[in-house]
Amino acid sequence: MEIYLFYLFAALMLGAAVMTVASRNAVTAAVWLIFSFINAAGIFALLSAPFLAILQVLIYAGAIMVLFLFVIMMLQGPVLPAEREGRRFWKLALLAAPAAAIAVVLVGWVSRSGVTAFSDAGNASAGTAERVAGLLLNRYLLAFELISIVLLVAIIGALALGRREEDQPWR
Amino acid sequence: MEIGLTHYLVLAAAMFLVGMAGVVIRRNSLIMLMSIEIMLCAVNVVFAAYSRMHGDLSGHVFVLMNFAVAAAEAAIGLAILVEIYRLRRTVNVDELKTLME
Repeated sequence: MEIYLFYLFAALMLGAAVMTVASRNAVTAAVWLIFSFINAAGIFALLSAPFLAILQVLIYAGAIMVLFLFVIMMLQGPVLPAEREGRRFWKLALLAAPAAAIAVVLVGWVSRSGVTAFSDAGNASAGTAERVAGLLLNRYLLAFELISIVLLVAIIGALALGRREEDQPWR
Repeated sequence: MEIGLTHYLVLAAAMFLVGMAGVVIRRNSLIMLMSIEIMLCAVNVVFAAYSRMHGDLSGHVFVLMNFAVAAAEAAIGLAILVEIYRLRRTVNVDELKTLME
């Protein structure tokens, strides 16, 4: 069962990511990316991390992508003409070579060292909200405080960038 | 065959490559930002997979940190894009080369 679910979620996640990169229209790309992140939530659920799966849907697919869609729809219309063609094929070829090299290395690595199975230790401790919060608010309290400062600075930065020009004394 | 750590690592590597390809070949900076989100998501999968491997939930805590970093990156990146659009009327990175000239 786990095998089928893994391959289903993995294929959908990768396929949606490829569609994100390949789609011409930014709104289409954002919707594909939301689909990709929802499948990533399925991957997290398979990794016995239910809390992360929920947060993936809430934060990534919800908050962050809504922010993206908001900005895209604000800028779109006259702003985002279809991307110019030309040099596209050349770029794809330039990209395909290292990607093929990396794929060969990966396949060689997997076939040589075999598949590392998960130990049973992981099975016993599913990442529920209670357990993760226990770690987050005890052992990693300093990191938690620091990341909240990062978010605060991001808020202040976004506000400073978004002000009207006459309100910007540094101009 | 059972699904093990290797499967998740290969999946994350492929996901990261897709994101990297997006940053390299796309000229629309909105889609470049989305590709960065794809790469961050690949990193999250690696964290969760090793967490499952060792039966230690510290990896999950750092995935939470990564969520916060992704949110901050999206907020600042999009604010910069809106400002660039306001000044230059474009978000195409080919046309944003003032520093180059």
